[in-house]
Amino acid sequence: MLKVTDLKRQFQSGDTIVNAVNGIDLTIPDGQFVSIIGQSGSGKTSLLSLLGALDKPSSGSIEVDGRDITKMNGGELNQYRAKTIGFVFQSYNLVPNLTALENVMLPMEFLGKPKRDRIERAKNLLHEVGLNDGEVLRKPGSLSGGQQQRVAIARALANHPKYILADEPTGNLDSQTGKKIFNLLHDLSLKEKTTIIVVTHDLAIAGKTNKSFRIKDGRVVNSTDRSKT
Amino acid sequence: MNWFSRGIRSAFRNATRTFALVIILGLSISLALSMLIAHQAVTQKINNVKSSVDNTISIYPAGLRGFTGGGNPLTSAQLLEVSKTTDVTSVAETLSDRMTSSETNLQSPISAGVLGRRFARKVGGLGGVFGNYGGQSFTLPVIVNGTNDPTNLSAFSHTGGGGTFTLQSGTVFNSNSNANVALLGSSIASKNNLKVGSTFTAYSTTITVAGIFSTGNRFGDSQVIMPLQTVQRLTGQTNQITSAVAYVNSVSNVATVTAAIKKELGSAADVTNSIAQAQSIVSALQNIQTISLYSLIGAVIVGAIIILMTMIMIVRERRREIGVIKAIGSSNIRIVGQFMAEAVTLTLVGAIIGITFGVIASKPITQMLVSSSNSSSSSSSRSSLAGSGSGGNFAAHHFSGGHGIFTRVKHDISSVHAVVNFSIVVDGLVAAIFIALIGSAVAAYFIAKIRPAEVMRVE
Repeated sequence: MLKVTDLKRQFQSGDTIVNAVNGIDLTIPDGQFVSIIGQSGSGKTSLLSLLGALDKPSSGSIEVDGRDITKMNGGELNQYRAKTIGFVFQSYNLVPNLTALENVMLPMEFLGKPKRDRIERAKNLLHEVGLNDGEVLRKPGSLSGGQQQRVAIARALANHPKYILADEPTGNLDSQTGKKIFNLLHDLSLKEKTTIIVVTHDLAIAGKTNKSFRIKDGRVVNSTDRSKT
Repeated sequence: MNWFSRGIRSAFRNATRTFALVIILGLSISLALSMLIAHQAVTQKINNVKSSVDNTISIYPAGLRGFTGGGNPLTSAQLLEVSKTTDVTSVAETLSDRMTSSETNLQSPISAGVLGRRFARKVGGLGGVFGNYGGQSFTLPVIVNGTNDPTNLSAFSHTGGGGTFTLQSGTVFNSNSNANVALLGSSIASKNNLKVGSTFTAYSTTITVAGIFSTGNRFGDSQVIMPLQTVQRLTGQTNQITSAVAYVNSVSNVATVTAAIKKELGSAADVTNSIAQAQSIVSALQNIQTISLYSLIGAVIVGAIIILMTMIMIVRERRREIGVIKAIGSSNIRIVGQFMAEAVTLTLVGAIIGITFGVIASKPITQMLVSSSNSSSSSSSRSSLAGSGSGGNFAAHHFSGGHGIFTRVKHDISSVHAVVNFSIVVDGLVAAIFIALIGSAVAAYFIAKIRPAEVMRVE
C-alpha cells in the first residue's frame, strides 16, 4: 500500500514561493489502477515525481509498504526506483543510441541481473507490447511514437515493479494509438499485478481507472472510487 | 551491454563531432608528444655534454703548452695530491717528448713541407730538435706520449691530433706498465713497415710494438704512445709530467675543483677547464629544453581543456538522458563511469592519431627548435667567451685550425637527435588517459548534480 501524508513541495520562483504540492493526503491500495487528474500546473506531475522518488518533498511522508521513502539515502532511492517503480513518460524518454531491446534491458542491469535473463525478459516484454523481432533491434528514432511508448511500457515493466507511474502516457499520441496504449498498460498491469498511477488530462481515460484524484493548486480536491460501483 | 560498452558506443554517437574532436585532440596530443620527445632528446644531450665534455680540467706546467713555452715539469707527487682532491675521479698523466733521428730509428711519415720548414726556421735554434736545418733538409721529430691512459687521446691532445682512439691490431698496455712496449699510429707503423710484435729503437732501447691504432687524422696517426713510466725511465725524467687531465664527477663541480687544484699547485701549473664551453652548449640546449617543456605543458593543458569542455558540453546536452537513466534506477557512479569510458575512448582515438603524427613530426620539430636556437646560441657563446681567459684558452687549445669553440657549440647543439621509443609512446598514452579522466571528472560533478526529476521537464 502507498500512503501519502501531508506532502508538500515548494519551489522558489524569483521572489515568490510556489507550492506545487501543498499538503496532499492519499492512500492507494495495491493492485489499483489510479488516475490523477487536474489542469496544467495543478501539481499532478510534481506529485508523481515525489511518488517516484525523482524529487524530494519539502515536508510530509510517502510510505510504501510501511517504509518512508523520504527518509531513504541515495543508494536506497536508486534501488527503490529500479525495483519498485516503473516509469512511463509522455515523451517516452528512451535512450536514443540504444536499441529497443537494450532500452528494456537497461533497468535490469541496474539490479545486476544476468545478461541472458535480461535479453530473454526484454524480448518477451517487447513481443507482448507488440514489437516484432526486427523492431526490437531498431533504435527509438526509427520507431513510431506508438512503438516508442510500447518500448517505454516494456522498460517500465522490466523489473516486475510494484508501481507503474505514468505521466500523460498517451499525451503525444493520436486518439486511436492512445487508446491502444492505455489498454495495453491496463492489460499488462493486470497480468503483472502492478499498481498503476497515471497522470492524465483525458477524462475518458480517468473514467476507466479504479480511482481518481482531482488535484487543484497542489491539493486533492476530489476523489472518485469506481471500484465500489 | 554494460555502462562501459555504452560509454564506448556513445563516443561515436555523433560522427561529425567525434571526427572534429578527435582531430583537435590528435593535434594537441601530437604536439605534446613531439615536445616530450624533443625535451627528452635535449635532456639526453645536456647530460651527455655534461658528463663527457665538460668534466675535465687541463693541468700544464706553468708556461708550457705542448712543445712551446717553458718552465718546469710537474711531478707525480703533485698530481697524486690532485687525484686526492674532492670530486676528482681520475687523473690522466702524460710525459710527451719529441724523438730526433739520433734517439730513434723511426721515421716520421709526415714530410716537412712548406709549413714544417717555416716552423723549423723559427724554432731551429731551440735544442736542435730540428737537427740539420741549416742545410735546408731535416726530418720531423717523432712525438712520443708516455701516458697512464693510453686510449684517451684527450689526455694528450695538446701534442696529438685529437680524434678517437681505435685499436686496429694488438693490445693496449696497462696504465701502470713499465714495459718497453709501444702503440704506434697507423701512419708511422706503415712508414716504418712495423706491425704488432715488430721492434724499433728508442732512446737506445729496443721497443716492441704492442698494438697499432688510428685516430682519424694524419698527425695523430704519426705518433707513438708508450707507458708513462717507460718514457719517464728511458728519458731520465723520473716522476716528471708535462701535462695532465683531471676528471671531475660532475660538471657542476668543475669550477670548485679547478679552484682547489689551482690552490694545490699554486704558481707551478696552469689549470684550465672546459666549463665556459660547456655552459655555452648547455645554455643553448636549455633554451630548447625550456621551450619544449612549456610547449609540452601547454599542449597537455589544451588537450585537458578540450576534453573538459567537450564532456561538459556532452553532459549538458544529455541532461534529460541522464535524468532518465537515474529515474530508472542507475547510480551516479555507473553514469559517471559511462561518461569516463566515453571520454577515454575519444581520447584514445585522438591519441592514436596524435601519436602517429607525433612520431612523424617529432624529428622535424626537434630540428626546427634546434635550428632556431642555434644562431642565437652561437652569437651568445661568441660574446660570452670573448673575455673568458680559461675558456678561451681551452678553445684555442683544443679546437685550433678552424675548429673553434663556436663550431663545437654549434655542432653539439645540432647533433641533438630525437629518438622515439616505446616508453615515450606508452607515456603519451598514459598521459592521454590521465587527461581524459581529469576532463571527465569535472563532468562527473555535473552529472551528480542532475536531478532525476529532470526527466519530467517538458521540452
